Amino acid sequence: MVLESTMICIDNSEWMRNGDYSPSRFQAQADAVNLICGAKTQSNPENTVGVMTMAGKGVRVLVTPTSDLGKILACMHGLEVGAEANLAAAIQVAQLALKHRQNKRQQQRIIVFIGSPVTYDKKMLEQIGKKLKKNNVALDVVDFGEADDEKPEKLEALIAACNSSDSSHIVHVPPGEHALSDVLISTPIFTGEEGGSGFAASAAAAAATGATGYDFGVDPNVDPELALALRLSMEEERARQEAIAKKAAEESSGADNKEASSSNTDSVMADAEPASNASADDKGDQPKDDDDADLLQKALAMSMDEGASGAAAVADAAMAEAAADDQDLALALQMSVQDAEMPGQSDMSKVFEDRSFVTSILNSLPGVDPNDPSVKDLLASLHGQAEQEENKDKSDKADKPEDGKN
Amino acid sequence: MATAPAPTTAAPAPPAAAVAVPSASVPRGQVDLVDFIDWTGVECLNQDPAHPIANAFKQGYREDDGLHLASDSDEQLLIYIPFMQVIKLHSVLFKGPEEEGPKSVKLFSNKEHMGFSNVNDFPPSDSVDLSSSHLLESKPVTLKYVKFQNVRSLTMFIEDNQSGADITQIQKIALYGTTVDTTNMKDLKKIEEH
Repeated sequence: MVLESTMICIDNSEWMRNGDYSPSRFQAQADAVNLICGAKTQSNPENTVGVMTMAGKGVRVLVTPTSDLGKILACMHGLEVGAEANLAAAIQVAQLALKHRQNKRQQQRIIVFIGSPVTYDKKMLEQIGKKLKKNNVALDVVDFGEADDEKPEKLEALIAACNSSDSSHIVHVPPGEHALSDVLISTPIFTGEEGGSGFAASAAAAAATGATGYDFGVDPNVDPELALALRLSMEEERARQEAIAKKAAEESSGADNKEASSSNTDSVMADAEPASNASADDKGDQPKDDDDADLLQKALAMSMDEGASGAAAVADAAMAEAAADDQDLALALQMSVQDAEMPGQSDMSKVFEDRSFVTSILNSLPGVDPNDPSVKDLLASLHGQAEQEENKDKSDKADKPEDGKN
Repeated sequence: MATAPAPTTAAPAPPAAAVAVPSASVPRGQVDLVDFIDWTGVECLNQDPAHPIANAFKQGYREDDGLHLASDSDEQLLIYIPFMQVIKLHSVLFKGPEEEGPKSVKLFSNKEHMGFSNVNDFPPSDSVDLSSSHLLESKPVTLKYVKFQNVRSLTMFIEDNQSGADITQIQKIALYGTTVDTTNMKDLKKIEEH
């Protein structure tokens, strides 16, 4: 809660027409001035702020120090840009305006925005700085825009001459994507010597996190319960999606190896296949094919749910054709077939009969070592079981898996 | 100024005992005006923020020789002292080190808004040349009493110091005088109805 009286010197010289600070130097400066005026008047109800211009028809005081924020903001409108800024005169006039403040308890501060080049030499600026220091006036400088002719060095010298117990500051703002006011918000010029109070601190915090920095567009400080609920919900959804992705990855890796190892399929699939296959052929480019394959996969999975999954019609020819034409399509077909097969016990045993396939599945599973002796034993026993069953059946089916294997 | 201030009857007390018996240096018939100063309005230009005016001017602080007021960028100081009521100023007392203590002091009555730039624009109500004996022995300097009959605020311009050093130091400032009789609102009594 520093009690102070501030004069803000704004630069309205021709140099301010430049558009290197969006939307223009002058507008960016006006925004920053509004922000600072707000912060100063909010930090202490007795604080006063005055505004003056440095260029145009000579140095002119627009508002003498007042605590009426409306008055301060209103004076910024309709300012004319023109001529050259007179820094030395402006600072001295500002000092005079501060000297005649009503409340002697207020500390004195001048904030200078300077976007035009500084024509005065270093010595003169140092003299002015010393005079300010002698009169207990603190000086803040916002250096932006033109940087030629040792301007930063000159302003640094001015601040160094005026600085007393670290009360004066200088900020160099290069042109860039950050707005002038956004850069100032985190500087001591805006937050004050004690790290900012109330308005300034909250504004600085908001700027630090960014306006869109909150998750879900909700400020966790305003409604912590809502923010927590939203966060939990998001984490659950993320976990669910991860699980699905993992499952899909496992299935596809399993299907890769099983490609064309089984030749059983549905009549439904046989019906669906030629049409989609033809459409895939029509479109020559590869990415489209992938998309089509995905869509087909979905369609097939749906039809499998609906259709009679037990109908073991043989569609070998169609499958072979599909595999030759489109690897992805074949893969999709395999997957859907695999899904359909799973419920059947005999089908299951057939799957396990294929040693290379089982090994590859085990390989793809995390945390399972196919070379582990216990796993090997289990596989051997499974395989033996299946063979025994087959022998009992004595059917011609026994050779079929070997036939289908590529 | 030519005549030395009339010491009180207990004047022969050694300077070291001044802290113990502050009333010893108060001229006869005068009071210490410290109680009538409007502290919210006191302003000291060119003071070192580490050694503010309160060190030399406030009761308690000013009795401590370890605390002093010091100038910052050069040897000059400008002190503005408003009073809560109109006073008559009789004498001032400065205490400081022999080298850095103040030398030329200009006093202005009822001049608000003075700065270093306009100290020479007005004739001072009185100017004082302090000697090292004044500074060391805490001897009050009598002013032109007629010039300070109706004082609402006092501005003291300390122009230089004893040795011409860059920094001026003051350990104690005291003002002696009397208050001009004004209506004391506490003395007003409600007239009883019969």
